[in-house]
Amino acid sequence: MKWRVVGLESHDAYFNMAIDEVMLERVREKLSPPTIRFYRWSPSAVSIGRFQSMEEEVDVEKCRELGVDYVRRITGGGAVYHDNKGEITYSIIAPETEFPKGIRESYKTICQGIIDGLATLGIESEFMPINDIVAGGRKISGNAQTRRKGVLLQHGTVLYSLDIRKMFTLLKVSKEKISDKMIKSVEERVTSVSAFGNFSINQLYGALLEGFTKGKDYEFGMWSKEELERAGELRIGLYGTRRWNFSR
Amino acid sequence: MHGSARYKVPEGKLVEVRIDYEETIKKIEILGDFFVHPEESIGEIEESLKGSGVGESEESLAEKVRRAVELGGIEMIGVTPEAIAKAVKMAVTL
Repeated sequence: MKWRVVGLESHDAYFNMAIDEVMLERVREKLSPPTIRFYRWSPSAVSIGRFQSMEEEVDVEKCRELGVDYVRRITGGGAVYHDNKGEITYSIIAPETEFPKGIRESYKTICQGIIDGLATLGIESEFMPINDIVAGGRKISGNAQTRRKGVLLQHGTVLYSLDIRKMFTLLKVSKEKISDKMIKSVEERVTSVSAFGNFSINQLYGALLEGFTKGKDYEFGMWSKEELERAGELRIGLYGTRRWNFSR
Repeated sequence: MHGSARYKVPEGKLVEVRIDYEETIKKIEILGDFFVHPEESIGEIEESLKGSGVGESEESLAEKVRRAVELGGIEMIGVTPEAIAKAVKMAVTL
């Protein structure tokens, strides 16, 4: 099977979520090839899991003040701060038959791409069920998956650098918990590629590209006009709406 | 009356329920950072608990969720019928 790779690009939160859904639709209809994409969030954004409450997880006022987008994902999981300069996100979309049948097993298989990629930078990491990757015992990547009518989508982030204080101003952890002690405890549980050496974000991208494409027949490609048009519809009609983002 | 409760599933995720109830559950919303496949089926799980008596046992509530999961071909990751039932009981008794 021939994969398409859409190289590292930047979009706003609503487009990033819309194009993922477009790919679920179009891979199912065999209108688009199985795709691996790499992206950043511009502006920075907070995404919440499908079953979370926006009001409960996110300081929406603070996001507005700092120009940070906030969006509900199609996938479950937790709230994530996607700093424009602090991480690379990937999505992989293909027929379910390309992956192990079980959801847990397929997380492990897809996450191996990240583990292999980080290894090219000399960073040892391992899969930590349900959906994390840890390096030196600390979380470096979080991942989430959905399946629709025979098509699997997994997206996830790999942390490049950490701004824990900013993360805490945007995510609603009760204010009294944002003490230095709490921040220290997150620093003890979370890490980033920058903690392992003086790597550029492009080096991280190169590493992830290598890890995800290992053993795959692929070519670089761009979004088609039809894909972009449909993403534009979903960006405005769904992911950018209060109805979707505040539905819980 | 309104009740809510949060429960951290051992080895799993966080589940929260918000419930409007009198003698029985009138409205229920299940939230958290867990995974349910397909995602839309969270509505079927919520529906299965509506109308349950607030005095109903945790086991009976869990059985209702288990049945909804089975009938709907639903897969839950990071949350279990037992955890949802526990959160429901906490919400109506706290």
